[in-house]
Amino acid sequence: MSGTSQGGLPGLPPPKPIPLKDRASLVFVEHARLDVLDGAFVAVNADGTRTQIPVGGLAGIMLEPGARISHAAVALAARVGTLITWVGEGGVRLYSAGQPGGARADRLLWQAKIALDDAARLRVVRKMYAMRFGEDAPQRRSIDQLRGIEGVRVRESYALLAQQYGVGWSRRKYDPKDWEAGDVPNRCLSAATACLHGLSEAAVLAAGYAPAIGFLHSGKPLSFVYDIADLFKLDTVVPEAFRIAGQAAKGRLEMSPDRAVRLACRDAFRRTGLLGRIIPAIEEVLSAGELPRPEPPVEAMPVAFEGGQSGDAGHRG
Amino acid sequence: MMVVVVSNAPPRLRGRLAAWLVELRAGVYVGDYSARTREMIWNQVLAGIETGDAVMVWKVPTDQGYEFLTAGRNRRMPVDFDGLKLVNFLPETPC
Repeated sequence: MSGTSQGGLPGLPPPKPIPLKDRASLVFVEHARLDVLDGAFVAVNADGTRTQIPVGGLAGIMLEPGARISHAAVALAARVGTLITWVGEGGVRLYSAGQPGGARADRLLWQAKIALDDAARLRVVRKMYAMRFGEDAPQRRSIDQLRGIEGVRVRESYALLAQQYGVGWSRRKYDPKDWEAGDVPNRCLSAATACLHGLSEAAVLAAGYAPAIGFLHSGKPLSFVYDIADLFKLDTVVPEAFRIAGQAAKGRLEMSPDRAVRLACRDAFRRTGLLGRIIPAIEEVLSAGELPRPEPPVEAMPVAFEGGQSGDAGHRG
Repeated sequence: MMVVVVSNAPPRLRGRLAAWLVELRAGVYVGDYSARTREMIWNQVLAGIETGDAVMVWKVPTDQGYEFLTAGRNRRMPVDFDGLKLVNFLPETPC
């Protein structure tokens, strides 16, 4: 493979990341060979048909079973700051990489400091509650108690939406190991949250924070991603999931429910301007911790090349 | 905002398109019209394209932000890629 496939044409500088708010959300790829041809990210079929995918214009690419990706393609995705996630059936996450960690440590240190300070962490959790439900959290509650109150409110919202769209609903129930085991509304919800989690992960990484350091959620590789996704879940993907489940129940669906949910979620992301709101929301949540941002370390080297950071703070520009 | 690109189109159609759109480069027309006018222009393209081929692209409020239609055969054909409308580039085939 020649050097040109690494993303740079002779005479053209390598492509840089663009801000998340300017991108489309996610695309799911199955049964294709992903490679780089002439510097572009392409899916190649067995018969030689090529489809160029505008990788830098997406927040993330979800690779489904049957997708194969080359070294050059992963390198190009990393260079343009696009998250690559390997997913199983229905978009259940298996592994993800392509854009790991942040470009600098100051945001990670700030996030860790807030998470380790009990009072600051509670302030962040209360802020997330207020953003989520549009009212302040009840006074003098611990994080565990707030988690319980949120759970009840979410269950009530699910029941209300199910009733509104005429969906038979018992409870949230899913098995990541057995996709077919869930009923249609639960599968719709799983597909919808998988989209939102993929997008939130891309946003958390692009903003320069660690997915594992959560505040309400903790102890999972994507704790902070779940925290951020929950801020938007009830007003973006959950209504779409129940709407599609309602259409499926009436037999008015021309495609599989999870695919219909994904398409509906993507349009909802654009309609609600989610990609533009999600990184400011992350900053707003963390600012509620009321801890000062760390100063850049004194030994930090000055920028070697002027020209500014491209993309978001977490992108390696 | 809408863009129409034609190749191998008869001069009659190219003149007709230039009645509403500006020809920025050979066969590339742009304008900004309502959905109804856009459909009328596309119907003119379909009626006049003969053996050529054409594509029309315009802005819509979906995730991708734009939508397009094609007419006639070209090595580049539209394909639905998980709801993202992309383009298949077909290998050269002996006719």
